Amino acid sequence: MSRPRDVLDALHATIVGQNDVVEALVLTLIAGGHVLLEGAPGVAKTLACRALAAALSGVFRRVQFTPDLLPSDIVGTRVFDQRSGEFGTVLGPLFANVVLADEINRAPAKVQSALLEGMQERRATIGPQTFDLPAPFMVLATMNPYDADGTYPLPLAQLDRFLAKVVVPYPSLEEERTIVDRFGAGEPPLRAGVATLEDVLRWQRGVHDVFVDAKLRDYAVDLVRATRGADLVAHGASPRAALALVALARARAYLEQRPFAVPDDVRDVAPAVLRHRISYDDRIAIAGTDPEDVVRRIIAAVPAP
Amino acid sequence: MLALALPAPAQGLRALHVDALAMRTDHAQVHVGEVFHLAIHAHVRERLAALDELVVPNVGTMLLEGDERHVTAAANGTDVTETLTLEPTVAGTFTFNPAYLDAIDARTGKPMRFSTNSVRVVVQPPGPTSASAGAVLALIAAWIVIPLVALAALAMGIVALVSARRRPAPPVAAPAVPPATIPPPRTPRDEVADALRGYQHAPATGSLIRLRGALFAAAGVAAGATLRDALLATADPTLRAALAAAERTAFGPASLRDASSLELIDGVRAWLR
Repeated sequence: MSRPRDVLDALHATIVGQNDVVEALVLTLIAGGHVLLEGAPGVAKTLACRALAAALSGVFRRVQFTPDLLPSDIVGTRVFDQRSGEFGTVLGPLFANVVLADEINRAPAKVQSALLEGMQERRATIGPQTFDLPAPFMVLATMNPYDADGTYPLPLAQLDRFLAKVVVPYPSLEEERTIVDRFGAGEPPLRAGVATLEDVLRWQRGVHDVFVDAKLRDYAVDLVRATRGADLVAHGASPRAALALVALARARAYLEQRPFAVPDDVRDVAPAVLRHRISYDDRIAIAGTDPEDVVRRIIAAVPAP
Repeated sequence: MLALALPAPAQGLRALHVDALAMRTDHAQVHVGEVFHLAIHAHVRERLAALDELVVPNVGTMLLEGDERHVTAAANGTDVTETLTLEPTVAGTFTFNPAYLDAIDARTGKPMRFSTNSVRVVVQPPGPTSASAGAVLALIAAWIVIPLVALAALAMGIVALVSARRRPAPPVAAPAVPPATIPPPRTPRDEVADALRGYQHAPATGSLIRLRGALFAAAGVAAGATLRDALLATADPTLRAALAAAERTAFGPASLRDASSLELIDGVRAWLR
């Protein structure tokens, strides 16, 4: 039986640095959610997703989102079988344990909706039939914050479906040197089969046993409420954000094999939970303020219990 | 009860109907070493399991012997009574600042600070603690002995005066003035020791939060910080162990609380040694 820590170690064996990114992927996996990764091209967003998929012995599908993609390319379609004279169903790449939606904002809203509906409902409808998605099911979506021409920004309501959004930064000088050494020879080293799907389902059940004190619940709610009406914020986070904070705090305690969550758990996961659930007013562009600074200020202003 | 509008935004405040908030003491005059109580009472219309917003005043140089918070559900809301058991260590007049709680006033929707009155206690130097029969006898004896001693002193004084006039007076040294007893400043260790006594006397949520806060302050971090902040601020292994035990006790499940509470008390004692 594997532990979540084994998957974390496997990812670290492939990814150089990016500790927050790697931890967020594992925490979201334990919490049974989906994760959105945003970063410049070449900072190992896709590699991180591939490393996670490889570590789990499940079905992995990658979809490159493009402007001409159709919902049926994601979900699947019905095709006519000339030999039998009947329609058959071909399941799309959504029917996998780990789905990598690369550059999700490059596909039109209809395709994004098809994916996000599957993420929320954990089932998909093709023609007259509805199919359950496999369990565990996790979507890892990537986004490039640059090259905004020809993209379809995800609306706030759809971003809310992602349990966490992780910003993938550029590596440090030392990390960049290690990347050249590690990947200069060829294919990146991926550790395969570190955990089974049964292991993941066991973690997802076990995380519910992590105790969350009422003071921590209040802290999570306070953090979410602090986003509403904060300076430069047009719309604050929804109540779903408080649920996400508690879910990820539980996952973090579970990862550390601690039977209860502590304020550090909530505070550490707060940026990943809040950053994509806040919209900013026009003054943020005028002031030239980094949205990440706004999130940091909001979190720092709420005292931990 | 006083209510003042808060200048800061109402981040994280609960909406409450605060009907009453008062503070009183059972003794307005006490002697050093004599235990007395300071009680804060709040009544809110909401049905609450706890009122963590209630902030009790700093007890300064007084020893905190106990801290009990009782939350009672009533038909028309919730009564919260917090009783501090205090022991004065120095004489003087002490004014306890008002206890307060910050909340959204449910009547107006505005963030407010509800405050009690302040309370003044006069602490006298150590004196007779009881009017026992022995003490009464001693008083009667004093009434007889004092006049006799005074008469003897007067006679000796007259004799001394006469002999002094017969020879030159030697230089007389100025009487030694006893040094003023200034209490030493309170240290974080004192605060932790007081908080530990309070927690041991009444291991409730309020006293636990106070002990954890005192440990955080001893580590050098302010209220609102997390365990990691505190651990980064101190390298003292004994204090770090006590901080970790406080975290487990404050946020762990009830099934672990007894064990972690003992660990906390042992850890704090070890640090105080």
